[in-house]
Amino acid sequence: MDIELSTEDEAFRAEVRAFLDDNKFPGKGDYFTWRLEWFQRAKDKGGWDVPKWPVEFGGPGWTPTQHFIWEQETARGGPPVDAPFGPGMLAPVLMHYGNDEQRERFLPAIRARTVNWCQGYSEPGAGSDLAALKTKAELTEDGKHYLVNGTKIWTTIAHLADWIFCLTRTDDSGIKQQGITFLLIPMKQQGVEVKPIITLGGAHTVNMVHFTDVLVPVENRVGEEGQGWTYAKGLLQHERTGIAGISRSIVALEALKDKARSVKRGNGSLLDEPAFKTKVAALEADLLALEFTELRSLATAQAGSDPGPESSILKLKGTEIQQRIQKLTVEAGGIYSAAWGVTQPGPKFARGGMQGYLASRAYTIYGGASEVQKDVIAKNVLGLKQQAKR
Amino acid sequence: MDFELTQEQQLVRDSLERFVQDNYDLEARQSLAASKQGFSEQHWQQMAELGWLGLPFAESDGGFGGDAVDTMVVMEQFGRGLVLEPFLASVVLGGGALRRGGSATQRSTVLPGVIDGSQQLTLAYAEEQARFDLHDVTTTARAEGDGFVISGHKSMVPNAASASAFVVSARTSGGQIDTQGITLFLVPANAAGVTRDDFPTVDGLRASEISFDGVKVDRDSVIGAVDDGHALLSAVIDDGILAIAAEAVGAMEILYKDTVAYTQEREQFDHPLSDFQVVQHRLVEMFMEYEQVKSLLYRATLEAAQHAPTAQRTIHALKHLVGKTGTFIGENAVQLHGGMGMTEELRVGHYFKRLLVIDQQFGDADFHLQQFAA
Repeated sequence: MDIELSTEDEAFRAEVRAFLDDNKFPGKGDYFTWRLEWFQRAKDKGGWDVPKWPVEFGGPGWTPTQHFIWEQETARGGPPVDAPFGPGMLAPVLMHYGNDEQRERFLPAIRARTVNWCQGYSEPGAGSDLAALKTKAELTEDGKHYLVNGTKIWTTIAHLADWIFCLTRTDDSGIKQQGITFLLIPMKQQGVEVKPIITLGGAHTVNMVHFTDVLVPVENRVGEEGQGWTYAKGLLQHERTGIAGISRSIVALEALKDKARSVKRGNGSLLDEPAFKTKVAALEADLLALEFTELRSLATAQAGSDPGPESSILKLKGTEIQQRIQKLTVEAGGIYSAAWGVTQPGPKFARGGMQGYLASRAYTIYGGASEVQKDVIAKNVLGLKQQAKR
Repeated sequence: MDFELTQEQQLVRDSLERFVQDNYDLEARQSLAASKQGFSEQHWQQMAELGWLGLPFAESDGGFGGDAVDTMVVMEQFGRGLVLEPFLASVVLGGGALRRGGSATQRSTVLPGVIDGSQQLTLAYAEEQARFDLHDVTTTARAEGDGFVISGHKSMVPNAASASAFVVSARTSGGQIDTQGITLFLVPANAAGVTRDDFPTVDGLRASEISFDGVKVDRDSVIGAVDDGHALLSAVIDDGILAIAAEAVGAMEILYKDTVAYTQEREQFDHPLSDFQVVQHRLVEMFMEYEQVKSLLYRATLEAAQHAPTAQRTIHALKHLVGKTGTFIGENAVQLHGGMGMTEELRVGHYFKRLLVIDQQFGDADFHLQQFAA
């Protein structure tokens, strides 16, 4: 057992830090121009704009440890906002299952962040049970198009997206995981209607997307008809580093302590009060453990083995810790966490704290609710049978 | 041993239930919350006509001589409807300060307007540096001539925009955290030197920051005895805690029952969600915790109504449990509703937000556990 990073890894960390420092948003000028330039400069570093892409597609070919270092360093801010849908989710599907024409057509703009994608998976009747999806795609008589009808829900940034990658049903005669087809659909066209869904914090990030007789050329189908489920699910399993958001939680925990310190109590602060301090400490203890759970998982990956059983708990524990940090932020804000106006009385962080907490309730719902994640661990890791039928 | 409501109380509860049913579906509630005033003047008048605004006041003050149990009956139903009208601010807090500590003149001049709904009061006691401590007061009231001059800032004052007068805690002597030396004043909302900043709160209610800049009041505006206001303020806050605890119990009932209903309707993996044991056990836990809070609410309310010496300590235990359980039931209601629970479209999220605010109001779960343990 050895937890020291190698000299090479320390050198890499210094290089990452220097790059992030040299390329900070200057605070003035157009953010979106700077954003595109940042990705270009990261690309020039040797694929730092797409850290997880394979080398043959222009990725940097980092070791798992290097990815971990990147997560740690970028958790403190630096890179511009980046939605995961294009570079993180669609790109790997195109690399594995798309054809050359599709890769040439879509990957460069995904990489340059000039075309925005959203993900059309969940439906009103297909949430945790995603394979129950019903959005229908029928091949037209001439075999040149699919006619798409149906509704997607919880579609993050659909209102800002140029394209959507969609799981659609082309066949409902077999088991539900079969007959699902992966289609790429332009958003800005007749028959595609986006309706906002306002979530508890008052934010508009998710949407309902309706498709009414939308014609999609067959060239926009990825892979074979009916194989979409395999394409969509298969790649999700490969994600290892960063899914627990540990680096960000470590930063958020420090921020929480600063916030609590800013709430004065007598000669000290809220962070000196035993009840609050103890809860922060308990959170920190769990986070120290989880960081090492991730490192153990990383070491297995570094050695080229399949992920060990410990990696299965990363998302569950990670999201739970994120939610606890948010809850303590609300508690630190006290009654001011309730204020919801334009001007904010009390601690500066209070309104953001409440917004963050409310938004964080979704962490244990999206991407597979925690209850379903535990079913998967029971089956795949502990080898348990499905629960008894009564 | 009798946990039944009296016949009068049952009648009041029935009319409250009807009121909530007729006026407080989610859409109506949200459009009221978004209106300029944030509640309905018409509802307020209706509440006055039904006698609800007079329930806790003595018959000699024009009220109905009710006790903590009557207020509980009202607030529990208001919690079930997420009612927006300022019953807590005007009747329980502002009116409560006069009921408990006001002079005969104050009671006879102000309370009739509170009871008939033509006037509203509220309580301005919170200050940022005090967090949840009632005795930490920097707002000062300096004796001058025949009266006092009040200067300072009060925070998160509920429904101040519609109130015609505020009950204000201010320091007339002693140091910043001395229990002795605090005095309550009745200050007209339009007094010279009063400025307000009004804003909505996350639960759809309204609050204000209020500055008092050399506000002159006469000696008659003192509620109770000069320098002895802490005990009165503390008693009023206890009334407030009992009221919002009852409101919370009403809200928790809606949350757990809505979740039981939703998980029976929502099918995934070819089964209603409620077929899954993990879901069933969670629902049972929500139900159990709800029943526990309800029991402690009854206990604290009865002790308060009977002026038992244990009442204040039980109120601390209650507020602790309300905060803890409100979070537990609210978070799980959202979780088991899945994505739908995260939307403004279903009512669970709105009840959850009210419970989150209730946890912070008059001291959070940690604060009251410490008081209980002390």
